[in-house]
Amino acid sequence: MQGASTGIVYGGLKYQARCIADVKADPDHTSFLAGTLSLREENEVHLIRLLPSGTELVCEGLFYHPNEIWDLKSCPFDPRIFSTVFTSGETYGASIWKIPELYGQSNAPQLEQLVSLNEHSFKIKCVLWWPLGKHDKLISIDEGNLFLWSIDSSSKIAKVISKESVGMLHNLSGGAWDPHDRNAVAAICGSSLQFWDLRTMKKTNSIEHAQVRDVDYNPKKQHLVATAEDECGIRLWDLRMPRLPAKELPGHAHWTWAVRYNPEYDELILSAGTDSAVNLWLASTTGHDDSAAESLVDSPTRNIDPLLNSYNDYEDSIYGIAWSCREPSMFASLSYDGRVVVESAKPYIRTK
Amino acid sequence: MAADNVPPLDEKAKRTRELLASFYSPDPSSAAASSPHAKPASLDSINSPAFDPDIYMGLLVQKSNLEGLLQKHVEMAAEIKNLDTDLQMLVYENYNKFISATDTIKRMKNNIVGMEANMGQLLAKITSVQSRSDIVNTSLFEKREHIEKLHRTRNLLRKVQFIYDLPTRLGKCIKTEAYADAVRFFTGAKPIFEAYGDSSFQDCKKASEEAMDLVIQNLQAKIYSDSEPIEARAEAVVLLKQLNFPVDSLKTNLLEKLEDYMSKFQNESKEVEASEPDSSGPSKASIGKISKTVRAYLIIFPDSEKRLIELAQDLFTRCYESIQQSIKKRMPSADLLAMLRNIAEDVTLMDNVLPEAALPAFSLEAVRSIIRQYISTAFSYLLLEVSEALTKIQPKPKEALEESLLQMALEGSKKAVIQGSMDLLLEFRQLLDGDLELLAKLRDLIIDWVQEGFQDFFQKLYGHFLLLSGRSNITNQDSSITDSIPVDKIQTGLVLVLAQLSVFIEQSAIPRITEEIAASFSGGGVRGYEHGPAFVPGEICRLFRSAGEKFLHLYINLKTQKISILLKKRFTTPNWIKHKEPREVHMFVDLLLQELEAVAVEVRQILPRGIIRRHRHSDSTGSTNSSRSNPMREDKLTRSNTQRARSQFLESHLAKLFEQKMEIFTKVEYTQESVLSTIVKLCLKSLQEFVRLQTFNRSGFQQIQLDIEFLKNPLKEFVDDEAAIDFLLKEVISASHERCLDPIPLEPPILDKLINAKLAKNRELSSNSHSR
Repeated sequence: MQGASTGIVYGGLKYQARCIADVKADPDHTSFLAGTLSLREENEVHLIRLLPSGTELVCEGLFYHPNEIWDLKSCPFDPRIFSTVFTSGETYGASIWKIPELYGQSNAPQLEQLVSLNEHSFKIKCVLWWPLGKHDKLISIDEGNLFLWSIDSSSKIAKVISKESVGMLHNLSGGAWDPHDRNAVAAICGSSLQFWDLRTMKKTNSIEHAQVRDVDYNPKKQHLVATAEDECGIRLWDLRMPRLPAKELPGHAHWTWAVRYNPEYDELILSAGTDSAVNLWLASTTGHDDSAAESLVDSPTRNIDPLLNSYNDYEDSIYGIAWSCREPSMFASLSYDGRVVVESAKPYIRTK
Repeated sequence: MAADNVPPLDEKAKRTRELLASFYSPDPSSAAASSPHAKPASLDSINSPAFDPDIYMGLLVQKSNLEGLLQKHVEMAAEIKNLDTDLQMLVYENYNKFISATDTIKRMKNNIVGMEANMGQLLAKITSVQSRSDIVNTSLFEKREHIEKLHRTRNLLRKVQFIYDLPTRLGKCIKTEAYADAVRFFTGAKPIFEAYGDSSFQDCKKASEEAMDLVIQNLQAKIYSDSEPIEARAEAVVLLKQLNFPVDSLKTNLLEKLEDYMSKFQNESKEVEASEPDSSGPSKASIGKISKTVRAYLIIFPDSEKRLIELAQDLFTRCYESIQQSIKKRMPSADLLAMLRNIAEDVTLMDNVLPEAALPAFSLEAVRSIIRQYISTAFSYLLLEVSEALTKIQPKPKEALEESLLQMALEGSKKAVIQGSMDLLLEFRQLLDGDLELLAKLRDLIIDWVQEGFQDFFQKLYGHFLLLSGRSNITNQDSSITDSIPVDKIQTGLVLVLAQLSVFIEQSAIPRITEEIAASFSGGGVRGYEHGPAFVPGEICRLFRSAGEKFLHLYINLKTQKISILLKKRFTTPNWIKHKEPREVHMFVDLLLQELEAVAVEVRQILPRGIIRRHRHSDSTGSTNSSRSNPMREDKLTRSNTQRARSQFLESHLAKLFEQKMEIFTKVEYTQESVLSTIVKLCLKSLQEFVRLQTFNRSGFQQIQLDIEFLKNPLKEFVDDEAAIDFLLKEVISASHERCLDPIPLEPPILDKLINAKLAKNRELSSNSHSR
């Protein structure tokens, strides 16, 4: 499964980096936002665009960001808005930024800070937008709390609607917003995955026993989520049966850091790992009931390898991956050494 | 009439006949229908009944010229003449006929005269004959009647005589045992007894009935006695039946007796078999007796065959059942063979007597199921043995014999697998070699079953392994939720044993068993070619190869998971930004080494040593010693300079590009070194990742530096791949360097001092524990 180096490489990030996001709201271009993670230098946010020829990545904009970026999300309804979570030594913060109008000048203009989400008393982990479009609310997660914000980007006001503390013993580290239900959010919490209802701010469900690094909702089918775990690889869950995973994928040689469903072909799953590889999986969730019924003991030949391809032309651990919403067969990956690679998964997409 | 006699009907005669017919026929339409020429005639045709002379005339005058008219006139005149002569002839012929009829009538009248006188004479004679015969008849009537009466009386007297003689006669018959005659006499007299038994022949009837009772008794005795010849007994039954004696109840009585006897025999033989299986003496004797009886009954009661067949089948069903009961326990195939042989002999005996019972087919069926069950129980015992060999060590206290516990389990289970299957094959071969005819018929089937049994056995074993390793809940989550063992309760050592056992099964056990099977269990093929052979060693090998790899990975996974938790605790709890100056090597290092030591102990018991293959990767290229992984040197440079820092990043980037990619995650092999080094590498990689998530102050960075420096030497003792370890340790240092706000490393003398202090402390501890 040696992945041929078919990817388009962007080497413009000069520092280490963890975060990359697809600019969903841009209907005309396939672009990604990547933020650097440099403790001692001035950090940057790059707006990277795939040229229409599909063979080159260019830097469409380079903006200085005051601190090192631990989380970056693009606003799903405005291509010029994005959120970051940053730390600087002991201080931390989360902000929503607006990319200034570029009048031909690309030499690092200042980002316009729309809102600062400064109600947090713990280290902030991530900011979540509702993935499917215009929604005036925002979620931010810090180590101990879940915040629901009401955002008005025009008047630059952010108000906390509700806040729920999960208790000192727990340790939130990330989450995902259900695209099928605006009131459901999944939060990664220590040794479990918790599901919250935003109306009541109560926990509704949880998957125990998982050491989860990342979680992603199936964009097409409700109740299905994928989790990435340190040792156990990737697990696919049906939330109506949270006791046991619906499917397991072996994951990576070391930790599986991130997992993403393809926005269009929901049986394609992308995962990134600290073994310097990005794996493309085929997990036919539609047939998972059958495959569970048939015991795998009988015939090992019947198991088709779910691993479609392993892209391992990387030098360091990969923490960031993003499918492009505009071209669902394209994805970008970001390794820790700051290299962005855009690949096409087209050869592996089954025509239905 | 004359015209009829003339065969060739000339034109004239035909015309005559037509005319006659038209004359005599009452209906002109029918005459018209008979002549075809009349039909198309219209008003102008002269022959039609609707002929109108005026119209005809008119038409004629209109149509024809004078010459035509003249010609027509001549034609018509000729026709008229013709018709006249015809008419004349008709009249003449009619007259002729009339005259001949008158002549005939006259002759008849002459002949009839004189017949009446003859008739009168005839009548007188007949009446006289009749009167004579009447006279004769009346004169003879009386005498004839008398004679008839006398005759009747005589017959009656004879019968009475017979009946009076009956008792004595019967007595005589009993004496000579001529029961058939007795019965015949009695049945002859029976209607009379029925009619007059109450009055005139009362005594006689009583006496003869008594005699008959005696006869019946004798007959019954005869039937019951086994010493009588069978034909005599059969005859007795026929006679009894003639006497309306309830033979059926007699029959059922007898059959019940037989049944009792059979069940008694059954019990006896069971006891015999239970005590000593190969003593066939008594059972043979009694089955001989049974078969003799059955033969007798078959002749005596021809209609009892069905019942007897049932009885016989019942008998053997019970025999086979008892065998089935006994094979539920484990028993050597020699015993089974002996038992089967006994029964087979019995079956042949019985079959000679009762061929309709189809006992051979029946017993073939039974033996088939017995053998099948025997094979399957044998395999299930084997499975049980293997799993016991694997698990019986579990409950013991771990500390006591830790050194060799896993090894014992591995050796025990290896032996259980190979020795058990060899023993089974031996047993099954005995079945095949047994000289039993039945088994010879089943030979192909047995071969198939044995092959199937092995296939099934190994698949089940695989399932069992999965269950033991706790992985089975993934494969079939619905059915085995209840019996899946939670992962944390599984002994990780057992997983390693399973891995090695799988390899053993794949590499030694399967080839050996395949060889054995090929040697003595080839053939078969009842399943048909489309299914292929039942035992597919390739498939099983594949299964266990993948299982071995799976278990090995699972083992590594479980171990690294454990260490991961340790590391996570280490890196997430302290506040690294406010870390205090390092005073000593942190104790998590001890814990880490302890865990690794435990792994090493387990691995050394189970896995073989690998070929020492040092990865002198760095030595050959020296590129890992790049600027990037040697941050200490660069610390002397000014770090606030952005330009400088950027170039540093680029430099490390470049260095990495030129550096040969270090293969950290190589394929795991079944050797102590490979497994250990994989675990160490994974742990170091985790360590690096944990470090990358933190931000350190100078002291935090120094603490990491110290810990890693200390780890360097002990880790190398575990691992054959020093280069990789060096590389990974450097990666950890560089990661912490990157994540440090103020990366100034410890001075080497202080570093040495702290490490030596730690080493001294460890030595002290170990010597203490030794002296204790």
